[in-house]
Amino acid sequence: MSTIETQPSLFQYRELLKNLVIKDLKVKYRNSFLGFLWSLLNPLMMIIVYSVVLRYILRVQIENFPLFLIIGILPWNLFSGTAIAATEAITGNANLIKKIAFPREVLPLATVLFHVAQFLLALLVFFPALAFLGAPWTPAIALYPLVLLLQVVFTGGVALFLSAIAVAYRDIKYLTEIALMILFWMTPVVYHFSMVPERVRWLFELNPMTAYITAYHDMLYWGRWPDAQMVLLGSLWAVLALGVGSWVFRRRQRLFTEDL
Amino acid sequence: MLPAIEVRHVWKQFLIRHNRADSLKERFIGLFNQRYRERCEPFWALRDISFTVEHGEALGLIGPNGSGKSTLLRLIARTLYPTKGEIIVRGRVAPMIELGVGFHHELTGQENIYLNASLYGLTRREIDRVYHDIVEFSELGEFIDVPVKNYSTGMYARLGFSIAVHLDPDILLVDEVLAVGDERFQNKCLEKMLELRKQGKTIVFISHIAEIVQRLCDRACLLMQGRMVELGEVSKIIELYRSAAAPRVLTP
Repeated sequence: MSTIETQPSLFQYRELLKNLVIKDLKVKYRNSFLGFLWSLLNPLMMIIVYSVVLRYILRVQIENFPLFLIIGILPWNLFSGTAIAATEAITGNANLIKKIAFPREVLPLATVLFHVAQFLLALLVFFPALAFLGAPWTPAIALYPLVLLLQVVFTGGVALFLSAIAVAYRDIKYLTEIALMILFWMTPVVYHFSMVPERVRWLFELNPMTAYITAYHDMLYWGRWPDAQMVLLGSLWAVLALGVGSWVFRRRQRLFTEDL
Repeated sequence: MLPAIEVRHVWKQFLIRHNRADSLKERFIGLFNQRYRERCEPFWALRDISFTVEHGEALGLIGPNGSGKSTLLRLIARTLYPTKGEIIVRGRVAPMIELGVGFHHELTGQENIYLNASLYGLTRREIDRVYHDIVEFSELGEFIDVPVKNYSTGMYARLGFSIAVHLDPDILLVDEVLAVGDERFQNKCLEKMLELRKQGKTIVFISHIAEIVQRLCDRACLLMQGRMVELGEVSKIIELYRSAAAPRVLTP
């Protein structure tokens, strides 16, 4: 006699989740033959610009710098792209929320999966580049999917949180953009973690993205097993983000219809 | 058998937000400046509504604009939640509150059928099963492969209606959507509704058109200013509505 019997489950709506991701991919790539190439252009330009500026102007001493950059930039873009898009996952679908009763989590989760799909496609294309640039192939790569999964779970938590908060605070998108900019420079994407002065290292360790990016570098750049402490930290962040994100989302979702 | 819909002492309050602060910036300014602070004025859209709808029954909701009919329908559809009280709904609900909600303009009719039906919780297999019926009923023919942004309003609504009635719902919530398409299609929709009723579907129906309510519904419920005035036989309720509401509307 509870309301549970009519509360739709997320599992029941897996078809919707799939269809929303396919829709986003179709809409993005259908009308432009070059659509997919465009989405590769952004990381490519970032890699070129950072390579030139950091290596030849600021003279950063990192061997095989383009390889180092590719490994970090692609997952970073996955995170930042998802976070920004998540701020519009609910507010951009006001019409659906108001008229149809489906589990609201589907929307931010579809945003996450759409970006994961794009990331995997980009990875496929950059894969030969990794080989060409001489990435070390060691058994450590076997852990890549695990670290990626942790990052995706973490990103999912962030997406749930941001999408829900953005309903009440529409300017959260701008704040997110600023926060991402700060976070980018606090993440060892364009430099080594070891270059960070000892005194402030704790601050960088508090940054969840540091854990994932450092692990990617360990596996694909250094050719060694990722640091156990970083993987553990990454797992904790993933669980924490998902917990807090879904808690905030659940508390706020009842008012979405009225606040949109 | 337990009723299809149970509405128990449902109250619904909306907050009318004057000077709405929907950004952090405005909240922040509001801290220092009284003038920019948000004020909320409570408004009771529904007050203490209780009724049940049995399986296979068709209930008409009647009342003037702003009486709370649509709010009630949305509460049953679970896009809104009651402030007080509870609503129990047993079975799959197909809300026809607005047609073509969730269509994506860039996608074709076919793609939209799959996307839209999954918004209502259908699985791939269930959609495959009704796909051809949806296309046939919508009378779209070859247009099914055209992006819906190129559809006329009528085509758009026809596809929307066709999807809604083929969701295999136990309960249909209808908000005056029959006023779409040309007259022939309107009649076809009405026939479909009557057919669904005969199949034992539960229907909650909002309309201003007395004849349709009379043809379709077993009972009717009169709402005025968020309160339930009377629930009973359709002709009696319509008469009551005319005598109660009409003079108020007509006199300045």
